[in-house]
Amino acid sequence: MKRIVELTINGEPRDMTVDTCRSLLDALRDDVGLTGTKKGCDVGDCGACTVIVDGEPVNACLMLAVEAEGRTVETVEGLQPGVDTLHPLQDAFMRHGASQCGFCTPGILMMAKKLLDDNPRPTNEDIRFGLSGNICRCTGYTKIFDAIKSAALEMEAARS
Amino acid sequence: MNVTAPIEEREFKIVGKSVKRDDVLEKVTGEAEYTGDVKLPGMLHGKIKRAATAHARIKSIDVSKALAYPGVKAVLTHENVPRVLHYGSPHPRSASCTKDQYILDDKVRFWGEGVAAVAAISEEIADEALDLIEVEYEPLPAVFEPEDAAQPGAPLIHNVGPGGNLVLDPVRVNRGDIDAGFAQADFVLEGTFSGGRPHPAYMEPNVCIADWDGSNKLTFRTSTQTAFMVRGILAEVLGLPLTKVRVLVDHMGGGFGAKQDCFQHEFLCALLAKETRRPVKMEFTRHETFVAGRSRHPCKVWLKQGFKNDGTLVARDMKLVYDSGAYGSHGPGVTIVGTNAATSLYRCENVRLEGRCVYTNTPINGAFRGYGVVQSYYALDIQMDEAAERLGMDPAELKLKNVVRAGDIAPSGHPILGHGLEICLQHGIDVLDWKKLRNRDRTPDPKHPHISKGWGIGCEMHGSSAYPGIKEQGNATVKVNEDGTVTLLTGAAGLGTGAHTALAQIVAEELGVRFEDVGIIHGDTDVVPWDIGAFASHTTYLVGTAAKMAATKVRGAVLERAAMKLQVTPGEIDLSEGRIFVTAEPGRFMTVAEAMGPSRGIPAANIVANGTYEPTKSYSFAAHFTEVDVDTETGIVEVKRVIPVHDIGRVIHPIAAQGQIEGGIQQGIGHTLTEDYIIDKKTGRSLNAGLVDYKMPLSMDMPDIETIILEAAPDPGGPWGAKGVGEDPIIAIGPAIANAIHDAIGVRFHHYPITPEDILKALREKGA
Ligand code: FES
Ligand code: FES
Repeated sequence: MKRIVELTINGEPRDMTVDTCRSLLDALRDDVGLTGTKKGCDVGDCGACTVIVDGEPVNACLMLAVEAEGRTVETVEGLQPGVDTLHPLQDAFMRHGASQCGFCTPGILMMAKKLLDDNPRPTNEDIRFGLSGNICRCTGYTKIFDAIKSAALEMEAARS
Repeated sequence: MNVTAPIEEREFKIVGKSVKRDDVLEKVTGEAEYTGDVKLPGMLHGKIKRAATAHARIKSIDVSKALAYPGVKAVLTHENVPRVLHYGSPHPRSASCTKDQYILDDKVRFWGEGVAAVAAISEEIADEALDLIEVEYEPLPAVFEPEDAAQPGAPLIHNVGPGGNLVLDPVRVNRGDIDAGFAQADFVLEGTFSGGRPHPAYMEPNVCIADWDGSNKLTFRTSTQTAFMVRGILAEVLGLPLTKVRVLVDHMGGGFGAKQDCFQHEFLCALLAKETRRPVKMEFTRHETFVAGRSRHPCKVWLKQGFKNDGTLVARDMKLVYDSGAYGSHGPGVTIVGTNAATSLYRCENVRLEGRCVYTNTPINGAFRGYGVVQSYYALDIQMDEAAERLGMDPAELKLKNVVRAGDIAPSGHPILGHGLEICLQHGIDVLDWKKLRNRDRTPDPKHPHISKGWGIGCEMHGSSAYPGIKEQGNATVKVNEDGTVTLLTGAAGLGTGAHTALAQIVAEELGVRFEDVGIIHGDTDVVPWDIGAFASHTTYLVGTAAKMAATKVRGAVLERAAMKLQVTPGEIDLSEGRIFVTAEPGRFMTVAEAMGPSRGIPAANIVANGTYEPTKSYSFAAHFTEVDVDTETGIVEVKRVIPVHDIGRVIHPIAAQGQIEGGIQQGIGHTLTEDYIIDKKTGRSLNAGLVDYKMPLSMDMPDIETIILEAAPDPGGPWGAKGVGEDPIIAIGPAIANAIHDAIGVRFHHYPITPEDILKALREKGA
C-alpha cells in the first residue's frame, strides 16, 4: 500500500509517495535520491544510516517512512551551511583524516552534530559515549575523536 | 629488495605533507558515489537463494512457482548457467590459485552457498520469490574441522586439487640443517597455537550492478579492490573478449583484502542482467557479507624451537594448517605467504616449515589484511616471550637480540635492507623507558584490587607487494594538459586508504607542480592503465614508483618544450612549483601553463607518458608496545594504551599512514580479544553473522594510540624509499596483547580470541 508523506528534509518541504512498509532510509535513498545516508546493516546495528529527526538522532533503517509525516529530517546533505562552505565538523574531519572509506562518515557526522548541539564542550568520554552506536571499521576512531574535539573548539570560538 | 640506485634525497615540497584529500571532501558532504548509490533506469533487483545445509547434492530444483510470481523476471539455477570451472581469486600471472568453483553447481559445499538467483522488479519481490524455489537435497556427510577433513576416508569436498581435501600440495620450506640446529640447543620450547575466524566487516556490504548494451557489452559496477581481476575472470567465464567487459568502481566502503575475489553473486548478477536485458543490482545483506563474504583462515600451528642459553635461536620446526572453508579462494596464497613468513622475523639459520591448507564445509576464507602472517607471527612472537621467561631475560632484550637485520634473507629470498625492526624496537624501548616499566611496582591499586596491569611487545614485518608469489606490475599514465594542469590515470582502487592522494603527491613532487594541479582518474577499466589491484600493501610502493616514472618522463618533455620557448637548452632550466626558470638567471621563467599553451607559431600541447614498474619486494617493520588491564573478577581485558612504532620508509602522507596503523590496531584488538565468526561444528550454520553478535571494538573500547612512524629503512624500490603500511599494524598488535596479558596475570594463551571465559578459567586453574 502506498501513502503520501509530507515532511521537511534539510529545510525544504517535500512529499514522497512510499510503500507503508518502506523504511525512512530506503525512502531517502531511493525515493528522494539522497544517497549520502548509508545502509550498513538495515537492522539498527551500525549507525551508518543516522539522520536527525525533530532534533533527535535516529537510525533511519529502523523508522518507517510514514512515521516521518510532518517531521523535520536532517541528513548529511544538509550539513553544509552554504554551497562553498563546510560545517566545522566536515572541515575538521578532512583536516584530521577522520574519514577513510567514508561509509560511516555521514552517520557519524550527524551523530557528532547532535552531540555538539547538545553539549558544545564534550569531554573525551562524552564523545566516546556519543558515538557508541556508530561503527567505524577503518580509522580506529582516534582521528574521529580528534576531529570532533577540534570542531567543538572552532564552533566555540565562532560563537564568542 | 630492489638493489638499485641509492635513494635520492631532496627537499620535499609535497611528499611528507598531509595534504587535503579530495576523496574525503566528497565523503564529508555525502556526495561520494558508492556502487549502491547508483540507480539505473529499469533496474531490477537480484537475490540469491542460499542452501540451508552444509554438504549435499541437489537432487532437484523447482523454480516454476518463483517464475510465475508476479514481478519476477528471471530465475537461474545450475541447470541454466554456463558450467565453467574457474578461479575464485584470479590473480593473473600467479601460480597461487585454485580452479575449483562453478557459478552454480549441483552440489552444495557450505551452509549459505548460493543455489539459485532471482531477478525481480523490487528487492521485496525477489526475496519472496526465493521462498518459492523448492530444492531437494541428498545430504552428504560434512566436515567442519581441518583435522577431520584431513583424515583418510573423510568425505571429499572437491574432486580437483591434490586430494585428501588439500587445497594445494603442502608448502615446504627448508633452510640450514634442522637436526644439527636442535643438537646445538640448550633447551627446546614446543607448543600449539590456534587462531579463530575473524571477519573483515567492512562497512559497505558487497554490491554490484550489471548492465548489457545492444552490442553485447557488459558494464559492471562493483565494490572491488581488484577491478581488472574481476574484468578478467568475468570475461573468461562468460566467454567475452576484454573489450566487452567494462568494470567501474568509484568509492568503496572498505575491503581490507576481502573484496579481491570474483564472487558468485557477481557472475549471477551479470547473467540475470543478460537474461532479462535490464540492469540488475545485487546488494548483500549484512548477514550475507559474513556467510558469502570472506574471513581470515582459522589456523592451527605447531611450533618447536631450540635456543641456546645466551638466547640464540638455533632451530625452528613449524607446521601450520589453514582452514580454507569450502573453496580455495586465497588459500594457496595465504598458505605460501604465511608459511614462508616464518623463515624470518627472528633470525634462525635452521628452519623447517610445512604449511597445509584444507577444505572444510564452512564459509569461504579468503584474503584479509595480514594474509596468513597474522597466524604464523602470533606463534613466533609469543614463543619468543616464553623463551625470555625461561631464560630469566627481559623479552625486549631477547627480541632485540634476535630480530632480523640488514642482509638477513627475507621470506622472499632477498637480503633485507636496513635495520628497520631493530630500530623500531629500540625506539619503543627508549621512549617508554621499558626497563622501568618492567621493574615497576606491581602491587595492585587498592581502589581496584581486581585489576592487574600488564605490558607486552609484539613484532612483525610485512612485504609490500606479493612478490615472489606474484610477479607484479604497476602502471600509471600522466598527462600534462595545455593549461599546465596534470591528469594522473591509475588503475589502483580507492579503498579509502588515501592511496590516490599519495599518488598525486608523488606526481606533483616529481614533476614540480602544485598538488592542487594534479587530478586523478581511476575506477574505469576501459580508461585507466591495467592494475593488479589494491592489496599486499603495495599501492604506494608499486604504483607510486610507476607514477613517479611517468612524471619523470613528462617533466623531461615539458622542459624541452619550455627550453624551445625560452630559447635555451633543457639542461639550462629547472622546474619547481609550477615555474620553469633558467637556473643561472632565476628571474627568467615561464609557468608550466605558458610552456604548454600556444604561442606564436606553436600550438598548445598535451604531453602524455606512461610508467610501468615491475618490482620485487620491500619489507616494512613494526614493534607494538601495549598496556592492558585484566579484570580478574570478570575476565575482561581492556587495552589501555598502544604505542605502535613503524618503519615504512619514506612517508608520503603522514595522516593517512597513521590512519592505516590506527585502523589496523582496532581490527587487531578485535581479533585478539572479541572477534570470531563462529560456525556451528555440528551443522555448519553461522551462529553470529551480524554486527551485534560479532563483537568489534567500537568507540568505547578503543585505547589511546600514540603512533610513531620512523623512516628508518627506506627501500630504493619505492618512490623516494616509500614502503607499504596497510597490513603491518594488524600483525603486531595480537602477540603484544597476548604477551601483556601474561605480564599481567602470569598466564600464557596460545590462541585468539582470548575471551573473558578463557581468562577466568585459566585463573581458576592457576589458583587451584
Ligand atoms: S543501516 Fe541502519 S543501523 Fe545499520
Ligand atoms: S571510514 Fe570506513 S568505516 Fe569509518
